[in-house]
Amino acid sequence: MKQSDTIKESFVTDRRRLLLGVGAAGGAIAAGLTSAQAAGNAGAEQVTDAPVSNKMQERQPFHGEHQAGIVTPRPAAGMIVTFDVLAQTPRDVEQLFRTLTDRIKFLMAGGTPPAFDPKLPPSDSGILGPIVPPDNLTITVSLGDSFFAKRDWLAPLKPVRLSRMTGFPNDALDPALCHGDISLQICANTPDATIHALRDILKNTPDLMVVRWKQEGSVPVLPPKADGSHESARNFLGFRDGSANPDARDAALMDRVVWVRDGGEEPGWARHGTYQAVRIIRNFVERWDRTPLNEQQAIFGRHKATGAPLDGKVESDTPNYAADPEGKVTPLDAHIRLANPRTKGSEENLILRRPFNYSNGVSKSGQLEQGLLFIVYQADLEKGFITVQKRLKDEPLAEYLKPIGGGYFFTLPGVTNEDDFLGRSLLQAAGQIASGKKS
Amino acid sequence: MSFRTTFSAGAFALLATSSIATAAGVSPLDIVKPVADYKIFVSEKLEKLVADTKSFTDAVKAGDLKKAKALYAPTRVNYETIEPVAELFSDLDKSIDSRADDHEKREKDPDFIGFHRIEYGLFSQNSTEGLAPIADKLMTDVTDLNKRVKDLTFPPDKVVGGAAALMEEVAATKISGEEDRYSHTDLFDFKGNVDGAKKIYDLVRPLIVKDDGKFVAKVDANFATVEKTLAKYKTADGYESYDKLTEDDRKVLAAAVNTLAEDLSTLRGKLGLS
Amino acid sequence: MIKKMSAPVSQPAGPKSPQPPSAKLMRFAVIGAGVLVLAGIGVFYWASLQTTRGSADNAVLVTIRNGACEPNEMTVPAGRNTFKIVNQTERAVEWEILDGVMVLEERENIVPGLSQTVTTKLPVGDFKITCGLLSNARGTLHVTPSTESQAEAARPALVAFIGPLAEYQVFLAMQAGALVKATQALDAAIQAGDLEKARGLYEAARLPYMRIEPAAKRFADLDNVIDPVADYLAKREQDPGFVGFHRIEYGLFSARSTDGLAPVSARLVADVTTLKDRIGTLRFTPDQIATSAAQLVTALADTKIPVGEEHYAQTDLTDFDANIEGVAKMMALLKPVAEKAAPKVVAEIESKLAAVRGTLKDLRKPDGFPPYTSISGESRKLLAMQMHALAAAIGKLNAAVGLA
Repeated sequence: MKQSDTIKESFVTDRRRLLLGVGAAGGAIAAGLTSAQAAGNAGAEQVTDAPVSNKMQERQPFHGEHQAGIVTPRPAAGMIVTFDVLAQTPRDVEQLFRTLTDRIKFLMAGGTPPAFDPKLPPSDSGILGPIVPPDNLTITVSLGDSFFAKRDWLAPLKPVRLSRMTGFPNDALDPALCHGDISLQICANTPDATIHALRDILKNTPDLMVVRWKQEGSVPVLPPKADGSHESARNFLGFRDGSANPDARDAALMDRVVWVRDGGEEPGWARHGTYQAVRIIRNFVERWDRTPLNEQQAIFGRHKATGAPLDGKVESDTPNYAADPEGKVTPLDAHIRLANPRTKGSEENLILRRPFNYSNGVSKSGQLEQGLLFIVYQADLEKGFITVQKRLKDEPLAEYLKPIGGGYFFTLPGVTNEDDFLGRSLLQAAGQIASGKKS
Repeated sequence: MSFRTTFSAGAFALLATSSIATAAGVSPLDIVKPVADYKIFVSEKLEKLVADTKSFTDAVKAGDLKKAKALYAPTRVNYETIEPVAELFSDLDKSIDSRADDHEKREKDPDFIGFHRIEYGLFSQNSTEGLAPIADKLMTDVTDLNKRVKDLTFPPDKVVGGAAALMEEVAATKISGEEDRYSHTDLFDFKGNVDGAKKIYDLVRPLIVKDDGKFVAKVDANFATVEKTLAKYKTADGYESYDKLTEDDRKVLAAAVNTLAEDLSTLRGKLGLS
Repeated sequence: MIKKMSAPVSQPAGPKSPQPPSAKLMRFAVIGAGVLVLAGIGVFYWASLQTTRGSADNAVLVTIRNGACEPNEMTVPAGRNTFKIVNQTERAVEWEILDGVMVLEERENIVPGLSQTVTTKLPVGDFKITCGLLSNARGTLHVTPSTESQAEAARPALVAFIGPLAEYQVFLAMQAGALVKATQALDAAIQAGDLEKARGLYEAARLPYMRIEPAAKRFADLDNVIDPVADYLAKREQDPGFVGFHRIEYGLFSARSTDGLAPVSARLVADVTTLKDRIGTLRFTPDQIATSAAQLVTALADTKIPVGEEHYAQTDLTDFDANIEGVAKMMALLKPVAEKAAPKVVAEIESKLAAVRGTLKDLRKPDGFPPYTSISGESRKLLAMQMHALAAAIGKLNAAVGLA
């Protein structure tokens, strides 16, 4: 324990030294952390001074047709935490939803928490200071299959594709890391903002839900490019992840790929919601680091340095599999080729990936517990994640992966205005069923 | 004359190709013999696995708990030795050698079968009850594996890569004693994995010893460390329980095995196979 | 490199037997030796062989005159090409094909008034030609794709052959092991003087040898003591060189006695054991699989089928069947590598192989193959014809996958 503290400590100081060295303009802004004050009088900073960031006031809108945190560009810190919900009755469930709505609205906006009598515990953990900065926070609320299954009055309203995640052939699922009645995806510029948000929610809902499991993750930060363009972040295998993600700025495309729309088989209340699949995928990083580069690239189907497909030059190039039917350039079982074969009809299986890397400690064998907190959104769970994952069944990459946890959830529609709250359409639909039965 | 032409042309093509094939001057054809010898080695181990599994499963089915317990580790060690090949058949690997944590309901999962399910019955529940169908299935799977391997043309990169893969296996799962968690016969498996890796390494060693003396000396030394350390735990009919492994020896093994995994991972590259 | 090529297979020397071996055996021996020598000498020998062969009729004629070559611009198909260079100037000149600054081929010191031929294997591309004096304008050589170059482009990487070659070695090792075991059993029956048992074991002992004959034949010294046929020995059955399987066959089936066979079978056990050890050191190159298979099938058609080898036991059809089993194994091993580059040739081999096997199957009776004497001339002719067709199909394989 002591050792890891030292490591963390030295990382912090190193980072600061780096920032100071590079100056405010270059790497500092890129890292989301600037040091205007320090740039002026570098020598004045103390060892334990807080690193500073000029991004703490970044704010995502809470209100909207859809919840935030899905098509929102992914910040550096992310977390999935799931809960078992104690609230059983419509009244208690509504209270839970309303409480979550209030807390998320406040946390995403930032502000000053109410001051209580000092004889009482304070209303806020205070870890971000007396005034809570928004820090680009989003909290996305989704419901698991069990949330509906355990409540008769909700069971008829379960989204049609929502199911309890079952293991795939390469999985070694740990029951302690699977499923949940509710999942919260909490994202922000810094991990401290996600931790602050989680503690706020726990403090406000102790009688309504209890934590089941939690996994935090991060995204490696890059310096800004001179031409203003962006590239995908890298996973812990060193490869760009998300290169072929559908364009989240394209609203029409998102309507097709991500959002549940009217007119399908889904219950009406689910409109503007989406399916969230979460997987905790352990990577055998030591073994990976001992794999020849050629093989790593053949396994992924991309060049490691650039992220370009094997038949391309830059990351944004589209691989031409039709010209390579035997897999001489991009092996037929390469990860990107199996995941998205780019054949006619395979656009049905598009999914919006929003993963984070995680690093947890050390296994019993003394190996690093690292991997991918895989999060993906799609309008149809079957056609999306489940189909894609089935295609990946025999991929060579599987040798370096072990999925150990996760679950399937349905992300609630957004909160459109001050009178609205999370889950309102669901509770209203349940109310209609109940009153229909009574009359 | 026509024969001469054919053969000489062949020789020409060969030289032309081999000169660009590898950095270390190893011709792909040099790898034919090691691959052939490895297949023969694997075939012999599989014959033994089939025969030993027969005795083992017979004991399980006869309800002879003591005998079944005694035969468990020496039977599966054959499998552990040839794991790089056995793993090529993922369906059989799962049904023969999956561990409880590979299944959602752990020990209670109906898909949890094979060696470790029998191990669980014999050593954790101390009984052969209900194990007969699992023993039958194991026997069928092992026989099937033998047949499939016979028909398999060994992919050379899997053979050469197998040396490192076995060490990775030890480093990732065996060094912690979580593989044979009910019987604590991990050192047996450990020995099988090491023997399997050493066999592959020994087969290709002559191809690299001249150009890469330093590498060979280092790998030799690490294998010797592992073997010397394991030898301390040798008993008349096998190996001591994993509990007996001292923390110091565990660290020595872990370091040597990780270094072997690191070094052996370069074998394919050295031989021009990656 | 050259040294490496010569290594393991070069030890079998010429026949030790005082008697000259049969013409057929000689041929195998010569081929064997040829392979070894060539493999050993490698490229150098290849190059010299080519220059002597270079006086090809369809050579491209290039005349060097003062100031330029005629023609100064040429187009040839990729692959082997022969150029005849005639020096019509007053000075000794040189002629070179250049790939950028690299010399692909050159002839120096071409004497005035005389000519030289250059045979070289050219890849697809455009090349420059130096023509006599360096001050002369350079010529251009366009090399266009050809069937040969396309086959080469489709040639599987050498590493693709490792698996099949290894698998063939495993097959050889297994069969050699079986050969030793079965020969030991035969020997035990002979040593015990058990004629009936020995007769029953003869065929089984021979089959593994037939299956690996393409490899076994490469050891001429051993083949001459394991498998000589009396027809090719000066004193036939009375010849001191008449040992091995057929000597035993002669005793068991013609003399109907084990008398005098004990030392012969003891030696046979020793010889097949030596063979088993040597097989382990044998190194096949990818092209040798098809070449040696085609040779065996040709020998079947030319010699074995017309004359037969099992004169006393009449079990020739069983031999043929085992021979073909071995050939089929070789082809099956090459198939995954050859299929992409040469689908037609692979299909042709398979169909010819099926024809041969079909005929053999038709000749087979419920209790096994009938004595060879009972097989009609027509049937033999048909079988020989089908064998020829099979040999021809196999003969196309190396070229089709760019190995020739």
